[in-house]
Amino acid sequence: MVRLVRAELRKLFGLPTAWVGLVLGTLAAPLIVLLNAPYTRRAIAAGTVTDTSDLGLRELGLGLIGPMILGVIMVSSEYTSTGPDSPGARQLTTTLTAVPDRRRLLTAKTTALVLVVAAQAAVTATAALSLAEVLHGDHTSMPAAARVAGAILYWTLTALLAYAITLITRNGIVPLTFLIINSAVVSVSYLLTKVTDLAAYLPDIVGARMFLRTADFPVEISPLTAGLVMTAWVAALLAVGGVLFHRRDV
Amino acid sequence: MNTARAELRKLLTLPSLRLTVLLTWTAHLALTCAYRVAESRGEPLGDNAALAPIVYTQAGFLVLGVLAASSEYEEGGQIRTTLLASPRRLPLQAVKALTLAVVTLPVAATTAATSALPAGEATWTPAATAYLTLTTLLGAAFATVVRRSVLAVILLLGLYFIAGPLLRAWFATSAAYLPDTAALDPSRGAAATVGWTLCALALAALTFHRRDA
Repeated sequence: MVRLVRAELRKLFGLPTAWVGLVLGTLAAPLIVLLNAPYTRRAIAAGTVTDTSDLGLRELGLGLIGPMILGVIMVSSEYTSTGPDSPGARQLTTTLTAVPDRRRLLTAKTTALVLVVAAQAAVTATAALSLAEVLHGDHTSMPAAARVAGAILYWTLTALLAYAITLITRNGIVPLTFLIINSAVVSVSYLLTKVTDLAAYLPDIVGARMFLRTADFPVEISPLTAGLVMTAWVAALLAVGGVLFHRRDV
Repeated sequence: MNTARAELRKLLTLPSLRLTVLLTWTAHLALTCAYRVAESRGEPLGDNAALAPIVYTQAGFLVLGVLAASSEYEEGGQIRTTLLASPRRLPLQAVKALTLAVVTLPVAATTAATSALPAGEATWTPAATAYLTLTTLLGAAFATVVRRSVLAVILLLGLYFIAGPLLRAWFATSAAYLPDTAALDPSRGAAATVGWTLCALALAALTFHRRDA
């Protein structure tokens, strides 16, 4: 199993697009904290921002494009053809020749993805929070460890969500478009919360409840329930994706 | 003329383009309905209900452009066959852009009308149609340079949906220079959209002319 995970990690790090995801995802949040600093300072001085407990954590939402790319690319790269001269051959054919047991393969892939994204989330969360501490130290304190853990979990679950959707669609562009639009500053899910309160239980909205305190939520949900709801979404989609991956032809 | 007919047939028979158009229309209808419902509940989501859904559905048009251009470079290297049939690259590139515009125009017009007519602002339809068509051409030009669909989609959407809004929030003056401002405020961003699209098309033509296929 360790060898399988290592192989999957090596495949992932060999993809140029995965590096786009790694670099963008890791740098986005700290960079935004840095660039937002003058505005945040002015807002705190003017008194328009009274609750600073989300400083540094809120910005993590914009780095989510990283785990999304990683989750999608982990699957979609297997389904693209290996080269212009052999359009019929997909990497998945080779992968399954090496590891015919699809359940083990999927477990290894999932483990590799979780390892990479959790590490990325830990790095970027530390960087964003330390920067916020350095820049606005007098107004804010380091958030509790449980909230940081919630943020890391949110990143990991988002990557798994992207991964599960791609297992179902077997194509990278549809899930990527859908997910990136939804990670925009005003996301589609957020718009839906204005239409129906049920939208508060969509995975990306409910997940943010795990670590954000001041965001605009229509329904009161405790962080623990939020985590469980998002995990349930991801587990359901992963189950569907897993069954399809197990049953479908290559 | 033959080239145009061939390019047109290629675009019309690509299943991925048809799927993109269908998904875009579905998403656009759903968003337009969501905006109507939110407005009737007394929580309007934007100042301009005719244009607001387009801010999201323009993603479908970007993808449309990217897929139209990058399909030539996918498995099998169709571009080599294309160049064998019509070796003069600059005219070929011009014909490609023109046919894509012709194919996109009705799709864009339908999309624009879907959100503009119920909002009672039919006058926005031509502007929105032009914007969506230009956005598609920009996507296609970008993908001609990048040549890989997934990477092109990531970069374009990251630019339009993450970097763009942030830049507008940080530097208010930058709005007039960003290609996607026109979707929010047509009077301010129109020139930038046209300018960026023309630049992208010129860059695409240049690289297509110079680079190995």
